[in-house]
Amino acid sequence: MLNARGQSTGRFLALATLCVLALALLVFGGCSKKQAPPPETDSTAFEDADSVFDEMGTIEGEGEPEPEPEATPLPDYASLEPAEFGIEDIFFAFDEYDLSSEAMTTLSQNARILRDDASGVTVLIEGHADERGTIEYNLALGEKRALAVKDYLVSLGISSHRLRVTSYGESRPFATGSYESAWAQNRRAHFARP
Amino acid sequence: MKRDFLPRQAVDRWRPRQPGGRRHGGRRHGGRQCATIVLVAALCVLMSWLYPVAAQAQRPGEVVLHATKTAYQRTDLLMGLFDVLSGGGDAVATADMLQEVIFQDLGYSGFFRVGLSESEADTDSLVYEFTIEGTVEGPLRDAAATGEQAPMTISLKLLSYPERQLILTKRYRPSAEQERVTAHHFANQVIEMLAGSPGICLTRICFSRGSGDRRDLYVIDYDGENLLRVTANRTLNLCPSWSPDGKQVAFTSYRRGQQALFSLDTRTGKVRQVIAVEGLNLGADWHPDGDELVLALSHSGNPEIYRISPQGELLHRLTVSPAIEISPCWDPAGRDVVFTSDRTGTPQLYIMDSDGAGRRRLTFEGRYNDSAMWSPNGENIVYAWRQGDLTQLVLIAVTGENRRVLTDRSWRNSEDPSWALDGRHVVFASDRTGVFKLYVMDVVDGDWWQLTAGGDPDITPDWSP
Repeated sequence: MLNARGQSTGRFLALATLCVLALALLVFGGCSKKQAPPPETDSTAFEDADSVFDEMGTIEGEGEPEPEPEATPLPDYASLEPAEFGIEDIFFAFDEYDLSSEAMTTLSQNARILRDDASGVTVLIEGHADERGTIEYNLALGEKRALAVKDYLVSLGISSHRLRVTSYGESRPFATGSYESAWAQNRRAHFARP
Repeated sequence: MKRDFLPRQAVDRWRPRQPGGRRHGGRRHGGRQCATIVLVAALCVLMSWLYPVAAQAQRPGEVVLHATKTAYQRTDLLMGLFDVLSGGGDAVATADMLQEVIFQDLGYSGFFRVGLSESEADTDSLVYEFTIEGTVEGPLRDAAATGEQAPMTISLKLLSYPERQLILTKRYRPSAEQERVTAHHFANQVIEMLAGSPGICLTRICFSRGSGDRRDLYVIDYDGENLLRVTANRTLNLCPSWSPDGKQVAFTSYRRGQQALFSLDTRTGKVRQVIAVEGLNLGADWHPDGDELVLALSHSGNPEIYRISPQGELLHRLTVSPAIEISPCWDPAGRDVVFTSDRTGTPQLYIMDSDGAGRRRLTFEGRYNDSAMWSPNGENIVYAWRQGDLTQLVLIAVTGENRRVLTDRSWRNSEDPSWALDGRHVVFASDRTGVFKLYVMDVVDGDWWQLTAGGDPDITPDWSP
């Protein structure tokens, strides 16, 4: 009885081992199959990156870029709001369209981003004013602010063909309210998609 | 096909709303115009119904004008009897309307104090010099029963008082829609005859209504009646300017994304692009001859003043400076232009000739002077002056003398003035109620009335010829 039980137990164990082995084989076999072409995975990633460049148009010379699997692909500027790729708005004092030193610092950063953007995306510089003053003068003020920003970016080497300007005067406020903190936010040159 | 939006120059050219028939207005507009206008008209009718302006709410017997304490140089006139000879209830309603509209027109003109009864002369110390009487003769058969729209025969008379010598008599047979116009027409005749001033009772004001970057152009009668929307393009439409013949309204719009100058044909409602250069295409003003415009363009890299043809050809550049140069306005003789420049660091008014030469500075007081409009007699300029936290209206002689502030602090901000052709009334936008609405002020004695009502801001009005 004991013997018989021992025998059947042994047979069961053998069968179980076989099953486990077979399963393991299956599993590992599958794994090794998946892992087999790692270079292919890399080249796919590279091809994606390449197509991003293709979409954005111009890649200036320098041969083939080195494939870097961990590098994040460049954003598609053409489909983004300028703020999403780091281009910041410029702020002004009341009834002023001269650039402050902070404004120039911000514009230098903006110019660097625009220069690095190989796609040569075009941005629209919108000039805005706060609600105080007349409709017409605020439209002119917005235009002068946008033009001041454009001129400075051009002086930093950005092609004027990439920069368009328009003015909304006081008609598109970013902040509502009749107090200085709201007004200050509305006296700006904003970068937008044309 | 005629539209409501026509220059008011002859009785047969426009059709005003029937008094008391406001509820029918939408159907009448819609019957003649495209589907858009049906909606627009319905909206307007609803607006004017929901927000009756002061002008509509007033009746003879009520005090019409604000601040009429000093009846400065006014002539006293008695609104006499308006007899209904036949025609029943319709004729009575017409007579009431005629009396009401003429009463209001003469009061608004600024030349008269109008009383409604002889006894009123004692209580309000009026000394009547003239009186107006009328008769209304309706069709003998009941018009409603027969379905006919037989016109009333209206006879209006201006007489001396108390001698009752006939000075002026007019006989009209207007369609139902033209009855209100008849009253305006007669009031104009009285004003022109007794005051020697062009009557403004048939003029209108075009303006921009809406908020943020969605504002459309509307037209309204000078007394707040017959509001009509004339653009509907979901963008900014600003700064209308009537051509001297009233056939076109030039305006600045973003209807193609970028700012451009357009012109609206007031007969057909059709809009055409006049000029669209890069940047500003702003604040056009028609030359008094109607053959060119002056406006601000910034395609040179800076807002400058140019003369252009009505077809958009550049004729002459009038300013060259790195400063802002905007808001040009012709003098009524068409020789000089007043404009805004911030060449000294603050916006100030200057006058130059039509070639840009002979420039002289007009304003020295204040750090913000803009929106100059030359008066029809050529002697004065009204403009917006910003001091501290408020913008106020100022009247100044073209010599730079006799500077006078028209609005006190109770008006809060007052902007965008425009003259009526009588050189006495100015329409402008004020946010005295918290939202910019349009008001008309008599610059001689300071009387005023509210022209528009409702919740949306109304800005940049321009008074029709």
